[in-house]
Amino acid sequence: MSGFQPRTGTLDQWNAAYMRVEDYLRAHRIHNRLHQSRVIERVLECAAHRHEANPGLDPVMLAAEEMDRLMQTWFASQLGEGALSAERRAAQARVAMLLSDLPTRWPYTFLDQENTPSEARVAMEKSALQAGPDLAVSNMVPREIDLGTLPEAAGDTLERLERWPIIRLLLLWAVFAAVMAALFFKTR
Amino acid sequence: MPNPTPKLFVTERLERRRVIKRRFVFFTTIFLLTSLAGWFMADLLWNSGTHPGRMSPIEWVVLVLFVVLFAHVATGFVHALFGFYVLNRGGDFCRIQRALPPEDPHAPLAPTAVVMPVCNEDSSRVFEGLRVIYRSLEETGKLGNFDFFILSDTSDPNKWIQEELAWVELCKQVGGFGRIFYRKRRQGINKKSGNVADFLRRWGSRYRYFAVLDADSIMTGRSLVRMVQLMERNPTVGILQSVPRLIRGETLFARLQQFANRLYSSVFLAGLNYWQQGEGNFWGHNAVIRTAQFMEHCSLPDLPGTEPFGGRILSHDFVEAALMVRAGYSVWLAYDLDGSFEEGPPSVIDSAKRDRRWCQGNLQHSWLLFARGLRGASRVHLLMGIMGYVASPLWLFFLLLSTIHVLDQDLSGTEHSVGEIIFERWGFYFELPQTLALFGLTLVMLFVPKVLGVLVQWREEGRRPVYGGRLRMVLSAVIETLLSSLLAPINMMFHAKFVVFTLLGQGVGWVTQRRDAEGNDWREAILTHWGQTAFGLIWGISTYIRLPSFFWWLSPVLAGLVLSIPLSIFLGSSKIGGLTRRWGLFLFPEESAPPYELRRLEKNLDECYRHMRPIEELRDDYGLLQAVLDPYINALHVSLQRQRRPAAATRAYFLGLRERLLKDGPKRLSAREKRALLLDPESMTWLHRELWRRPQTELAEWWQLGVRQYNVLTAQPVTALYR
Repeated sequence: MSGFQPRTGTLDQWNAAYMRVEDYLRAHRIHNRLHQSRVIERVLECAAHRHEANPGLDPVMLAAEEMDRLMQTWFASQLGEGALSAERRAAQARVAMLLSDLPTRWPYTFLDQENTPSEARVAMEKSALQAGPDLAVSNMVPREIDLGTLPEAAGDTLERLERWPIIRLLLLWAVFAAVMAALFFKTR
Repeated sequence: MPNPTPKLFVTERLERRRVIKRRFVFFTTIFLLTSLAGWFMADLLWNSGTHPGRMSPIEWVVLVLFVVLFAHVATGFVHALFGFYVLNRGGDFCRIQRALPPEDPHAPLAPTAVVMPVCNEDSSRVFEGLRVIYRSLEETGKLGNFDFFILSDTSDPNKWIQEELAWVELCKQVGGFGRIFYRKRRQGINKKSGNVADFLRRWGSRYRYFAVLDADSIMTGRSLVRMVQLMERNPTVGILQSVPRLIRGETLFARLQQFANRLYSSVFLAGLNYWQQGEGNFWGHNAVIRTAQFMEHCSLPDLPGTEPFGGRILSHDFVEAALMVRAGYSVWLAYDLDGSFEEGPPSVIDSAKRDRRWCQGNLQHSWLLFARGLRGASRVHLLMGIMGYVASPLWLFFLLLSTIHVLDQDLSGTEHSVGEIIFERWGFYFELPQTLALFGLTLVMLFVPKVLGVLVQWREEGRRPVYGGRLRMVLSAVIETLLSSLLAPINMMFHAKFVVFTLLGQGVGWVTQRRDAEGNDWREAILTHWGQTAFGLIWGISTYIRLPSFFWWLSPVLAGLVLSIPLSIFLGSSKIGGLTRRWGLFLFPEESAPPYELRRLEKNLDECYRHMRPIEELRDDYGLLQAVLDPYINALHVSLQRQRRPAAATRAYFLGLRERLLKDGPKRLSAREKRALLLDPESMTWLHRELWRRPQTELAEWWQLGVRQYNVLTAQPVTALYR
């Protein structure tokens, strides 16, 4: 990183940008320090060029955008351009990286367009997520249950009572009053 | 000379006449026992009371209640009695397991889906359980016939993300992509039955059978293969239910349940199979079901009215079994099949919480008791389910009414307890109060089944001790009986409350648990049981003051109520549970000689729970943090969501939520708002990009901390899975 000498922005700002890129690489399970440093330097160099042209922008934001651009290019090179939007392609590529264990099995490959081993590419291409088998949609119609005369009548009454909560309350009070009356007479 | 091939049982050839004969004998025995006890009780009431020679209205009510309750108790006793008889004869010929030779590796199989509906469960337990089942099936060499589905209705964002991650990790580790699937519903309509129905509508027609598991179920590969083979062998069997053994209990309460479930259940289950035969019941999980027939005949309609009594059928399993039988397919209980497990609640209060749900569901079944077209056996199953809860308020009412009746006699100066039986032995004349005879008969009904359970195991225990040896087995059974006697009135009070609250359409509130290091929570116990304690004290003191002799009759009931708080703590203690295990008490086969599937599960879970937990500040919303911050988890989560383009108003709503989440942190958002964001793939992609793009000053402190801490100490993110 000794060669990195930004012409604009403060050292604190570039330090924050450095940390952000480092954190993001770590979130991608890129723990190899040498590879981390290489990628960070590349990203910060590009960000610093853009900052020179527009010093009002925050280096953290510029570094994040450069990182994103670098990744989009690498993802496209690994999985092809296809018809997917950049965001969908990024999601698909990350899932492929996760499933193929790319950061562990090929620790120097991430974002290195020239030196990606063919096995890594094949592993990524083969790694697709399948949350369910092909749909085989069918119907499931509820079966009628003839509850019988008594429960049907009770059901109708219940539904009627539900429309008149005041009647339900009165019935409850009536039951309570009946119990009280029974107790009263029992204890005479 | 080689052994002749054992004669196989063919379910289709089961004679209806034989089943009718069995049921006649079985239910007549219950009827005769109830009649005998009813006679005693009627005689007692007739000769005592304020008006000897006739019965008052209150005495009639006491008699009716007694007959109903005694019939309920006698039903349990007769199950055990007939089960003991069957087991002693070397087992029932008419049982589903006899439909195939004990080992038949070439018996055909068919495509089967193993489905596991989950809802806010411990992800480690769910996926490690699934790993064990998967590996066990792999070892049978029959894995190719099975697919696995995790059907999630989880609403807790943390658990939701844990599940997604654990699913991918499990698939990677066992090579399960294309065989283990994960489906999360956006809305949990109709809870578990809706969850399974959704699976059936999407993929059901791909499979001839599906095995339903609970989140805490374990089934060995051998048992699953065997059940599917049995279904293939018997094409008219619609549902084959296994008997899940309780496992992994650590508290004293859980260990007691496990021990009792294992030791006593053999006689009850054999008795159950004796009369129900092919018109059995479905318990909701650890069962294999014929898919097409289930889809055609067992989809449930709503009941009249709204909840709690009407609306959606909550305890769907009993009704599904009834509908399957109505459609002409049989439902069998594979009661002697090993390799089916589940976990029980760890404490009295947890058990009551589960009962609260079941109670409402079972009470709903009263609608169906008289439904046209159901078979008699299905009605008996529904009735037994209802009585499981309704018996409690009836017992309480009976005991209170008896207290009032006795106090009434006392107040009016009437002599009570006049009935006596006089008999002669060895030249002496003994006077036995009739109440004591009745009491003795009831005790026989309650405790003889336990004795029969011990007797069945007695000989085997001498050869191969799996209950800790004969002495410890008997000692454990005695202690279990004493403790369950103390627990009975507590459950009676709980169930009575649940029934009344359900009838009134009220919910039951529970205290939030705050357990200490040993898993005890005195606050929860006091707030939950104080009413029972107070009720027991008032009942006991008033009875003791008025009529001390009656107080002693009531004392077993009163003791449980008065001691409910310390008893709840004592039974819920893992420490005491561990001590009893060290002393060799309440041991059972799955604990003393566990199958390797259970050993493997324990080992893996130990590893899982040793994982480093996220730091305190991030813990509450760690799932959301991972889904936004971690590029892989974000990509995984987004890939699993349905891609859609929301309306302009919805997009504006999401935009506001996203900004609030990044600027204010997740604490300022409700759980509903977090769930909404997690369900929107566009929002999740946006949040990930913006979180990493924005300078620190534009992010909430919570996010700044998350970015700096994430993966600092571990190379890989923490998952719910053993590695």
